[in-house]
Amino acid sequence: MGQTTLGSQGQRHSVAELEDLAFELRSKLLYLCGTYEGAVHIGGDLSVADILIALYHYGLNIDPSNIANPARDRFILSKGHAAVCMYIAMAMRGFFEFDEIVETYGQLDSAFGMHPCKVQLPGVEASTGSLGHGLPIAVGMAKSARQRNEPHRVFCLLGDGETGEGSVWEAAMAGRSSELGNLVAIVDRNRQLMTSFGEDRIVLEPYPDKWAAFGWNVVMVEGHDMADLVKALDNLPAPDSNRPTVLICETIKGKGVDFMERNLAWHAGSLGQADLERAMASLEASRAGKEKN
Amino acid sequence: MPVTFTFGEWFSARTVIGQTLADLGEEYPNLWAVTPDIGMTLVEFREKFPDRFLDVGLAEQVAVGVAAGLAYEGNIPVVSGMLPFLSMRALEQIRTDVCYPNLPVKIIGTHGGLVGNGGSTHYAVEDLSLMCSLTNMTVTSIGDPLMVGEILRQSMKMQGPIYIRLAVGKSDMVLYEPGQHDIQIGKGIVAREGTDVTIFTHGTTVAQTFEAADALEAKSHSVRVVDMFTLKPIDADLVERCAKETGGRFVVVEDHLAYGGLASRIADVVVDRGINLTGFERLGIPQVFAGFGDDEELRNKYGYGLSATIEAAERVIAAKK
Repeated sequence: MGQTTLGSQGQRHSVAELEDLAFELRSKLLYLCGTYEGAVHIGGDLSVADILIALYHYGLNIDPSNIANPARDRFILSKGHAAVCMYIAMAMRGFFEFDEIVETYGQLDSAFGMHPCKVQLPGVEASTGSLGHGLPIAVGMAKSARQRNEPHRVFCLLGDGETGEGSVWEAAMAGRSSELGNLVAIVDRNRQLMTSFGEDRIVLEPYPDKWAAFGWNVVMVEGHDMADLVKALDNLPAPDSNRPTVLICETIKGKGVDFMERNLAWHAGSLGQADLERAMASLEASRAGKEKN
Repeated sequence: MPVTFTFGEWFSARTVIGQTLADLGEEYPNLWAVTPDIGMTLVEFREKFPDRFLDVGLAEQVAVGVAAGLAYEGNIPVVSGMLPFLSMRALEQIRTDVCYPNLPVKIIGTHGGLVGNGGSTHYAVEDLSLMCSLTNMTVTSIGDPLMVGEILRQSMKMQGPIYIRLAVGKSDMVLYEPGQHDIQIGKGIVAREGTDVTIFTHGTTVAQTFEAADALEAKSHSVRVVDMFTLKPIDADLVERCAKETGGRFVVVEDHLAYGGLASRIADVVVDRGINLTGFERLGIPQVFAGFGDDEELRNKYGYGLSATIEAAERVIAAKK
């Protein structure tokens, strides 16, 4: 099953370009977190920023000018609380303007809310936000593609804490039973829940073994290493293969801003002007540090 | 294989579901059947359309979630299962994954009411209340096995979700001659004409209400029976008309909690439209976990059986204006 490339993407981005885009995404996130008065789920946004850039700007076969193209890859943000990070990654890919997000986010009648709504924002694939709901929907979409002999993939991004929901494992069984090699789960393994650090209250380890035991093809990925993300996306099994794949991405909640990293206080919050400057300075420093390495 | 149905005979709603879906599967190449291990009605569909049949095993949440995913892709999924589990275990999936984006997922199942003698784990007695509270959801409860086919057929053309409640479905009395009534989702059926009282009912208790009406007619009462098989949207105009034409005398009988089901839907219409009633009685399941027994024993025990219906109608008929 061959897949045609959609959209006017031209040449695919290099890893260095993707890293620049991820920096831009984080900067925009912080800007929004500093200007919007309500809370932003900044911790879990920053942990998936690289993943979302790798998807929207490299891995996903999509065309922002034709969001209903049946040949497109589907992407479901099961951890719906990272919606704003997805909106910005989508805006940077040309789905809409970043200014639209900044001007209306969280306001009355805005298409851009805390959790994505397919009815209000048709560019997203599913309405999500209640955890544990995305993967079952993704199974349905992947199953439909199989039945119609369509070669696209269905991607679904979950938080690791979210995988405490039993429905995730129901879907894991269903995906394996239906031999959905066109289904790709991506887990943001940031090892933090809202109020606790991973393993302190709920034991997820041996985590890769759990997915393997459910019959999935398990790939471990450094979730902030763009080259590793690109490699994982390049090496996905063919969509017509018979096992779903999970990319377990090791990440850091709050990644890129030193005072937010692995800090339970920054699951969600808003930045004042002073903190925004401090956060931007930290982001710049972490980028400079990376370039030195 | 076509089967001929005869009025007044016992017939299986399950068989009707199976045959209807197998037929509709030809007409609608995007029709899917999804089930959490309750696929016995779907054998014919599965055999004809194996690539559009999915049994997810004992997993109601994923059954509904998968159906939502299929529907996002332009398919029409019918989820078939046991209602106590579909309506409660998968309630959030129904609300958030199906109703929120208004997807055309059809939820159909058995064990609505105190039927099957499974005990309270296996009785759906709150389901209509839960489903009626959901935005975008259409809610039906069917007593006549042949009607199930008609409702399924009509539901194919609906944009949003629908809930179709049955009793056990193994053996149900055929209540209506084919073509006897104009059956439309959202419209109540005036199954018997009468002027002294209206008895509203749905699902399992329709047949029993006909018996009650016969007994009351024998005592020279003129009884109207309305099969209000659509609870949402409720046929408010029919409620208002019945109040006018049967002296404001209403009895509601249902195999559901007495508060939260059809009686409550009708009471809402009465209050909202300022309808003056002369008498109103609601018969249904009280707030108890009902225990074991066969359908008739339980209906009698909890005060919505045949004799209770007759007595309630007589009290309402005797009420002074």
